[in-house]
Amino acid sequence: MTFAAMSAWQAWVLLIAAGAIAAGLFLIKLRPPRILVPSLVLWQRVLDASPDLTRWERIRRAVSLLATIVLAVLLGLAVTRPSGSAGSQSTGYGRALIVLDSSWSMLARTRTGETRWDRALAEARRIALSSDQAAIATTADGLVEGPTDDVVLLDAALRRLTPSGEDDTAWPDVAGTQTIHFITDGAVVRPLDRRVVVHSVFEPASNVAVTAFDVRPAVLGGERGKPLVLAEAYAEVANFAPQPQKVRISLSRGSSVLTTHEIQMGAGEAYRETVPIAGRGDAALHLHVEGPANALAIDDDAYAWVDRARPLSVLVVGAQAEWVRRVLAENPDVRVGYVAPSAYRAAGQDLTIFDRWAPPEPPREPALYFAPPGNGGWLGAERDELKPLWETPGTHPVVRGVDPATLRIDRARSYASTELMPIAQSRQGTPIVYVEESPARRAVIVTFSAAESNLSTAPGFPILVGNALEWLTHPAAQDGSRHPGLASFSPAITKVAAPDGSSLPFVRAAGSEYAMLRTPGLYTAEGGGARSVIAVNAADPQRSNIARTTARTPSNVGEGGLDRPWWIVCALAALLLALAEWWTWQRRITV
Amino acid sequence: MPLRFDNDFLKKLEYLHVVSKRALAGQNRADRLSPKRGRGLEFADHRPYSAGDDYRHIDWKAYQRLNRLLLRLFDEERDLSIYLMLDVSQSMAEPAKFDMARRIAAALCYIGLVHLDRLTIIPFGSGLRHESSPGRGKGKIFRVFDALEQLETSGPTDLRESCKAFASRPRQLGLVVIISDFLDPGGFEHGLKILRTLGHDVFAVQITSERDRDPGVYGLVRFVDSETGTLREVEVTPRLASAYVKASQAHAESLAHFCGRYDIGYVRADAERPFEDVVLRTFRQGRFLA
Repeated sequence: MTFAAMSAWQAWVLLIAAGAIAAGLFLIKLRPPRILVPSLVLWQRVLDASPDLTRWERIRRAVSLLATIVLAVLLGLAVTRPSGSAGSQSTGYGRALIVLDSSWSMLARTRTGETRWDRALAEARRIALSSDQAAIATTADGLVEGPTDDVVLLDAALRRLTPSGEDDTAWPDVAGTQTIHFITDGAVVRPLDRRVVVHSVFEPASNVAVTAFDVRPAVLGGERGKPLVLAEAYAEVANFAPQPQKVRISLSRGSSVLTTHEIQMGAGEAYRETVPIAGRGDAALHLHVEGPANALAIDDDAYAWVDRARPLSVLVVGAQAEWVRRVLAENPDVRVGYVAPSAYRAAGQDLTIFDRWAPPEPPREPALYFAPPGNGGWLGAERDELKPLWETPGTHPVVRGVDPATLRIDRARSYASTELMPIAQSRQGTPIVYVEESPARRAVIVTFSAAESNLSTAPGFPILVGNALEWLTHPAAQDGSRHPGLASFSPAITKVAAPDGSSLPFVRAAGSEYAMLRTPGLYTAEGGGARSVIAVNAADPQRSNIARTTARTPSNVGEGGLDRPWWIVCALAALLLALAEWWTWQRRITV
Repeated sequence: MPLRFDNDFLKKLEYLHVVSKRALAGQNRADRLSPKRGRGLEFADHRPYSAGDDYRHIDWKAYQRLNRLLLRLFDEERDLSIYLMLDVSQSMAEPAKFDMARRIAAALCYIGLVHLDRLTIIPFGSGLRHESSPGRGKGKIFRVFDALEQLETSGPTDLRESCKAFASRPRQLGLVVIISDFLDPGGFEHGLKILRTLGHDVFAVQITSERDRDPGVYGLVRFVDSETGTLREVEVTPRLASAYVKASQAHAESLAHFCGRYDIGYVRADAERPFEDVVLRTFRQGRFLA
């Protein structure tokens, strides 16, 4: 038996004291008044003639005494809020580690209107109060507070916590822990140690969710008056309710609604839809679903970003850059401008391509260089290699897919700048391609030009340019959308902004930076003068199905009258008993 | 509370007689018929003349008709000895109850004094206490009042011992009136039997109060016997209270039944009833007064 309101020994003392005081008060109450009667002759005759009456009196008194004690103990139980959870054989938890499941399925609302998370917090408080010392941890944030016996501190930590959806972090551990309590709804399967006591806050709930939402590039139309289809949005909506319901699905792009319709979905049915995204314009897509039986809100919205909605602005700087024009002209997502080096001005373009020329100071925006001169500039001293042999394809995203065997290079340069990192080298070690990835700059440097190689005609040229453009303009490259939770970013990212525009704090660990993406939405990552948008969605058919659980627990917290209902039942029983006692006392049935 | 009756009530009392079921011989001449033949006014019988008889009582008319000397006999009117045994045990201490008992005694005394009866007031508890005889004539009523007012309740009730003590002294046969609640742990039967055996005309006046008939309280109480101080803890429930009421009624009925069986007059006087009503109506209905 454990108690939510106080430690076990305090609860037992309270219960015993309540019973003893009630019995004492009952006996005081029973000290009868003295009444002088002329004679006891008649009373003696009555009592002698009615032994069953006197026996009944004794029974009544015993029952009344028992009822009084039970009443007091019930009230005591209502105050101490007992729970028959696992591990309750002991009177306290000693030093306890309380781990809260931070899955966003914990945000599901229960029948009483509170969320599973609310129940988890209440259970955590109860355990903390029943423990000598407690530490608070979540599956997303790791250890949050403690171990400490300061319940105020623990309560403050619990108040700060919110589910973040992260479930990939390492299981927290605290030395000297006697009991580990995992409070979960069982939505996510986790291998647990045998000594972990699972407290389930699960309660079956209906839900409607976006289980998948993404955009994939598509180039359709665009000629003869047909609208240019840039991408296709793929949406999948599922009804996780045990009964059919009408689900309203609406897809909007920016502030305009693309489609909205209402469909009747059967129990467990999934609805899939592909919507063409045509024409340039707003890149933000928002899918929203509504249904009458919908306990979880976080998976009702999904976001996507159509990169091609806005053409990439590229400025080519070079005296003879026709060979670049040819490859860029084939890309409908690029808007290209050309200037001679003498006319170069940074004009806010997304990307600049320098052909055999480099400005005196490196530009703020991402840049792709072909054989830039290094002498005396910020690239440092230059050293040439003739006929370099590029044999090994690199693994960096910029050179991925480029076949070096099709390239013939007459001359390659190496630069002395320490900011540059070679990602492809010749047999003799001369860098073929450099990248610079820093918070200040983002650049790709190809150490040979078209005039010194067969680059303009090589099959790998468009791949190299495409890769470079993609890498340079997307500092936080990510395939598809991310899930809410802890996300890692490269050190070149200087800022991640939440959907509301606020900057997220970074945590640096093991050469990477981490930020907690707590809510679904479109996040913006900036670094090296580039900016990329990350769609964060909770869409997951496994986690949106909140009607099932994997937790096999000895107790369910707050469900069906095991935790909070315990004290409600106690209080109600005490009230009913008091009413019954009052009623019977009025009728002289009890004393 | 002083015992005083107003004049109207006294006048009403003067018209009443204490009824004795038998004619008992008194000591003094009075206005009550006695079994003796003597100088009364009422002709009773003839008997043959014998030497020494007062020849003034010879019925000469009968001698003329029958040629025999017959003596005319008259009923002699004597007084009646009335013994008022008043229970002064602690069980009578309830003011209403004791007051009713003393007032009944006073009224009976006044009726007796008016009719020149011989009165003896005998208080009793566990035994007889100081008895008093006020004398004859209604002028002695104030002595009666004084004597009754000086009585105080104390001690237990023992009717048997009291009647034994009453019988231990030679007394003129008369009317014994016992005014009591008859709440005697030893029972009332033996005492009444003793009085009846002595040949007295016995009359029982049972004084009861509301407290005797109904417990009047509910819940757990500790009853204290006023006579013995004995404690008894009782949970008075409606059932038990009802049983007590029935026991009280059974007690009164058994007393009435016993009195009827042994030719003892019985009247119950509830302390809460108006005193005049008790005397003028109840006692007359009980054929105790006429």
